[in-house]
Amino acid sequence: MSDAPSPRGAALRSARELAQAISSVERGGASADALIQEALAQLATATGPAARVIGVTGPPGAGKSTLVGALADRAREEGRRVAILAVDPSSAVSGGALLGDRVRVEERPDDDGRFMRSIATRGSGRSLSHAAAAASLLIEAAGFDLLFIETVGAGQADLGIVRLADLVLLVEGPEGGDEVQAMKAGLLESADLVVVNKGDRPGADRAVERLRSGLALGADAPEVLLTSATEGSGVTELLRALDAAALRRGRGGRVRRVAAHLAAAVEARAAERLRAAEADGRLEALARGITDGLRPLSGAVDELLQG
Amino acid sequence: MTERTAPIRVLIAKPGLDGHDRGAKVLARGLRDEGFEVIYTGIRRTTEAIIAAAIEEDVDVVGCSILSGAHATLLPKVVAGLREAGAADVLVVAGGIIPEEDRVGLEAAGISAIFGPGSTIAEIATYLRANVRRP
Repeated sequence: MSDAPSPRGAALRSARELAQAISSVERGGASADALIQEALAQLATATGPAARVIGVTGPPGAGKSTLVGALADRAREEGRRVAILAVDPSSAVSGGALLGDRVRVEERPDDDGRFMRSIATRGSGRSLSHAAAAASLLIEAAGFDLLFIETVGAGQADLGIVRLADLVLLVEGPEGGDEVQAMKAGLLESADLVVVNKGDRPGADRAVERLRSGLALGADAPEVLLTSATEGSGVTELLRALDAAALRRGRGGRVRRVAAHLAAAVEARAAERLRAAEADGRLEALARGITDGLRPLSGAVDELLQG
Repeated sequence: MTERTAPIRVLIAKPGLDGHDRGAKVLARGLRDEGFEVIYTGIRRTTEAIIAAAIEEDVDVVGCSILSGAHATLLPKVVAGLREAGAADVLVVAGGIIPEEDRVGLEAAGISAIFGPGSTIAEIATYLRANVRRP
């Protein structure tokens, strides 16, 4: 078909370009590096503020996807260009993944001011894909000024999103946040803002109180808000609070995302080396040598990392 | 660093008005277990929403599950929309209840394969692996 594309066709084609670039950074390699470099060069000459990247995390079933969809709708009404990156785990057994976040987000196919992409963790060994930081740079270069990155609620040990996002929003359900949980280290500790969603359900007010009293013991306690994404209540206030918190923190910017990308690349490379050493028996041979006292423990890790 | 091989990405969509998505969900889970990355859209999606989702998700395959009998109008629209978006290389397959006499027309409209109620997950997975068009 040689006809000039319709406006709709043109919008879809530019979405396709971004979508394919994200697939490329998921695969990694030289062409991915070139795309990231190109995005950075483009952003270096861009005027206006850097995009705001908000990490959204929390336990399964708290309503993260629905809430992010509602926040995106609200931000679109303000004329902001909004993207959503939804991260879900890959199966360790099959390598496949079931990415279902679109079910909870209203599709708006005629709106080219929004973009949504689901990505799987693909053996990154954590709740964030290795490609998330790179994808955020591509999305920013494509002209989006607000990006929500939704990650699986891995809970306490997983802070990859903290490294990447300008701001982390923790979403809890109405049953969430008993006081002991609130005092535990982990995501709650690094959340910049906490929201109890499903505020229309019984017990939500008490969850807010529990979280507030638990968090109040720490210094620099994050604000705790209440929303109901399905009813739309509290969403505007939450968006305001996110904007205010982002300004207060002032830690945004591209350098942070490039650093997160480098950190992810180092982790990916180390994981790759380890898998290779396991596959070809070097890991076991090395372990045997150490066990039998034939070689020193020191230096073994370096040897494995060098591949 | 060398490029990693990516799993095949499949969008499972339910166009039209029927709300029965058990089959679509079973397929989505089955394909995940076969190593595919499956994006599920949920029920009652417009063809426009399916096309936009297929583009944003950069899928290799769009699988439409239809039980409502509206396949003859909806499926060719999906194929045409993907072409308009410059994504003619995306494979479009269909599943559900589609009468034998409609198959020829759908195939002529660019539907690559039709999987009826008796199809197994393994059969579908094998077909997809053999037929996706990747750069």
